[in-house]
Amino acid sequence: MGDTPHLVLSGLAKTYPGADGAAVRGIDLTVERGRILAVLGPSGCGKSTTLRLIAGLVAPTAGRIEVDGRDLTDVPVHRRDMGVVFQSYALFPHLDVARNVAFGLEMRAVGKAEVKRRVGEALELVRLGHLAGRRIAQLSGGQQQRVALARALVVEPSVLLLDEPLSNLDARLRSTMQDEIGRIQRETGITTVFVTHDQQEALSMADSVAVMNEGRIEQTGTPQDIYERPARPFVARFVGRANMVEGTSRGRDGERTLVELPGLGKVPAAGDPVETGRPATVMLRPHRIALAAAAPESGGARGTVLSAAYAGETVAYRVRLGDDGPVLDVERPTGSEASHGPGAEVALSWDPEAPRLVADPS
Amino acid sequence: MTAEAVAAPAVRPVRPRGPGRHALALLAPGIVALLLTYAMPLVWVLRMSLNESGEGGLIRQTVSFATFAEVLSSAHWWNVIGQTVELGVLVTVCTLVVSYPLALFLARTTSRWRGLLVALAVTPLLISSVARTFGWMAILGNQGLVNKTLGELGIISEPLQLANNLTGVVIASTEIYMPFAILAMISGFGRLDPELEHAAASLGAPRRTVFRRVVLPLTLPGVLTAALMVFVLSLSGYVTPRLIGGGRVFVLATEIYDQATTALDWPVAAVLSVLLLALFGVVIAVYLRAQKVLEARFTGPQGARS
Repeated sequence: MGDTPHLVLSGLAKTYPGADGAAVRGIDLTVERGRILAVLGPSGCGKSTTLRLIAGLVAPTAGRIEVDGRDLTDVPVHRRDMGVVFQSYALFPHLDVARNVAFGLEMRAVGKAEVKRRVGEALELVRLGHLAGRRIAQLSGGQQQRVALARALVVEPSVLLLDEPLSNLDARLRSTMQDEIGRIQRETGITTVFVTHDQQEALSMADSVAVMNEGRIEQTGTPQDIYERPARPFVARFVGRANMVEGTSRGRDGERTLVELPGLGKVPAAGDPVETGRPATVMLRPHRIALAAAAPESGGARGTVLSAAYAGETVAYRVRLGDDGPVLDVERPTGSEASHGPGAEVALSWDPEAPRLVADPS
Repeated sequence: MTAEAVAAPAVRPVRPRGPGRHALALLAPGIVALLLTYAMPLVWVLRMSLNESGEGGLIRQTVSFATFAEVLSSAHWWNVIGQTVELGVLVTVCTLVVSYPLALFLARTTSRWRGLLVALAVTPLLISSVARTFGWMAILGNQGLVNKTLGELGIISEPLQLANNLTGVVIASTEIYMPFAILAMISGFGRLDPELEHAAASLGAPRRTVFRRVVLPLTLPGVLTAALMVFVLSLSGYVTPRLIGGGRVFVLATEIYDQATTALDWPVAAVLSVLLLALFGVVIAVYLRAQKVLEARFTGPQGARS
């Protein structure tokens, strides 16, 4: 398990006839056997098209799709052996739960007794054994989701594709199904690609995340890479909240680059070095900034609280640096520290790992 | 559905002031119009069917089933009933077969011309069916477009008998009822979802299997509604059988007209009308039964949906 490339996309592109631009502009991705890849991006970024290209529901304009080294680019959908769970679930309303799950097995001419056994196993896997005879219209959203999973998995496909698997569920059910999908994926060990616009979903469920924007992949990496070391401003802004402060590089300081930022002075930031004198963008996550009541005449970064919004577990501050510097979002946990009202003078601090250089796309 | 509608008010708490009086006032004009144009003539026809006819258009006021007995014991009238049903079945089958692919295309297309295409499919309704029937006579007649063309090309030596018989009536009726069938089908294809076809394909179904296992079952309710509509329209159709039939196609509608206006045998015309009504009743009962069976596949055997 792991480390052997299972699904490989190379130079995959799709332009819809009559559309202004390409929906997908050359995608290279590798998913290792048994791993989960999340394709994360805003709506219209081409992530669903990418999934449909892999499933074979959409023919690519260019590029290749390989599974286990076998070129599947020109193989029609029904011979691709991909399990697809659609955003709308797409369950057959005229068939009951068991017959929905049996559909793929019947297409593979599996014997009746074996169909029965495997449908039973698949329904047990998604914990719906007791609902085999129900109609689709009689199921809740979460149950429909489980049927869709069972139907896709029962044929033991080479790859499982999930299109926005949790978007149609309410918040409580979403976290349950998130755990369920994780458990089922671990139990079956199936290579999985899922598409989502929800960064929390992508970070917590996937082994690796590909962030997409405007038909391109902005960055691929582990959830930690994506969140803590975003390669581009888009990734930093889309995955979690981020303060992006633009300044000028003032050379190296050991491992870090010194960046002169308005209202903050020279700040050492980790990340790919930027030449002295060149513009540089520094990312600071709101929760990594600490606030303290400003002592008069003390050094360091200072600012004025513009607003403070209480949100239960945290307080979201907006703080203007200096007198007319940039405004930063700051998020502090409630309870453990004093809160600051609007107009309060505060001193800002952070651990040296917090500021990150984020390269602008060239 | 009807059972639920009737049973539902019983369990609801009684409201102190219902909308009853206002609703009745608003319904009154419609009810009066229906009474005058529908219920009264119907009662009158039923009454007439219990009379007996004498010589020369004489009507004996009786209350007997003698005229029914007379009609139902006549081979001629059974023949007419048979031909009416035969025409209805043939027209329904032909109309469904030619309309289904069109309706399926119109229901599934994402083209921006879809609205225009649907409108085009029903534009024939803008022309009276009398005019369209005359059009078909010009096409199907012995000196018509088809026979002329085939004759001049030397493909046939004798003209094909396409008019003045059942064939012609079926061809013309099929075209005339197509817009109704297409509309009924499109509106009945609501369960069709391209994603279901994608799901079936991703599970290994080739296109033909997708059609057989998914598209066809999901479109059956729409087809059933279209079938009912065309069958009922065709049972009561008068213009096309009369004009294209050329006096050789005898169906209930044409015979009722002849009995009432030419033979002046109103009791027999009334009996035939009642038989036609009974036929509608049978057809609608069959339709409701079939619909229930079809719906049970979507909602479960008891139709239990919370």
